[in-house]
Amino acid sequence: MSEKGGKGFAVPKSGKSALKSSASKGKDDSSAKSKRGRKVQFDSEGSLDTNSTKSNGKADIPSFKGDSGKGGKGEKAASGGKSKTAKAPDPLELRVEQELPENTICLMDCEAADILQGIQEQMVVLSEDPAIKLPVSFDRGLTYAQRNRLYHNPQAVKQILKPLKEYGVSDGELCMIANFHLESVDEVFALVPSFKTKKSKLRVPLENVLAELAKLRRAA
Amino acid sequence: MFFHIVLERNMQLHPRHFGRDLREKLVSKLMKDVEGTCSGRHGFIVAITGIESVGKGLIRDGTGFVTFPVKYQCVVFRPFKGEILEAVVTMVNKMGFFAEAGPVQIFVSNHLIPDDMEFQSGDVPNYTTSDGSVKIQKESEVRLKIIGTRVDATEIFCIGTIKDDFLGVISDPGANA
Repeated sequence: MSEKGGKGFAVPKSGKSALKSSASKGKDDSSAKSKRGRKVQFDSEGSLDTNSTKSNGKADIPSFKGDSGKGGKGEKAASGGKSKTAKAPDPLELRVEQELPENTICLMDCEAADILQGIQEQMVVLSEDPAIKLPVSFDRGLTYAQRNRLYHNPQAVKQILKPLKEYGVSDGELCMIANFHLESVDEVFALVPSFKTKKSKLRVPLENVLAELAKLRRAA
Repeated sequence: MFFHIVLERNMQLHPRHFGRDLREKLVSKLMKDVEGTCSGRHGFIVAITGIESVGKGLIRDGTGFVTFPVKYQCVVFRPFKGEILEAVVTMVNKMGFFAEAGPVQIFVSNHLIPDDMEFQSGDVPNYTTSDGSVKIQKESEVRLKIIGTRVDATEIFCIGTIKDDFLGVISDPGANA
């Protein structure tokens, strides 16, 4: 609430600077830059906590809203700080491991195609039993896996991808690399945003892996 | 993405199935009950690949039914936010297009289609670039990114985007014609 008062006070001076200063206020505990802003805000806070709501009650709310929106969006470009750490993972970053139970194994499309094909072949034998029918999702899953299958030897793909594990690449990320026809390292970085922080470390090993995978595709 | 996962379920079996083939009965009931279902946590259960264990049965009070805890391995398909999928377009309209990736339905709104692609109505509705070099129509294969998911009792519905680097049409059925 007191923060709000501070912002509300700043609004009449100039809308934009108020937003920025208040944004920095949110993070000011650690940032040296915001010391100045902090003082100003702190002063205003005390004196205007009630004042601002009276005199500028309406402007107060939008300024707060705008600020929170901005804090969320502009955090990349702005001077980092608290809001960045709070929202650190990109909302569209793939977090397979966190969202699934521990005993889960990510499957590459080519592996899934092998497994599902095997089941379908077995079902030909079992199909005499009318109680057992494969659901629609099975057919769709199989069609998807077969269409997207790039390699016929999943073990070879795993061997090629293995060195990347040393760089902290997760199984889910490895599957992403194996599931698509990726031609350049930049393409990998674009499609797997979680690599963003380790770009420099991963560039060379990824180049090697992509080259090996391309060879494997050509051989198939 | 596909996953191999171990799940557990309590299966209730009627006493008439007790006998030598109790296990087979349990497995076929399990397959009937769970294959094709979906949940927000695991996604679609595409197929059961094996039974890990069948626990001791527990008689239900007042009925003859017995509950067996069954641990089973299965292949599931679950889309994640941020995941890239290659999907086949099933319908195109002025609001955007629908696509399918395995058992999952994806809608890409026209706001999430690059601005240089415009909707063209006609026999084969499509989104086309001004120079006509790129076309999205029914049966086109597109690479898209999932930005939202909604799980139903029987299906998973996703919102996708192709408005990003390295996303968009992979193959166009019209190109060969």
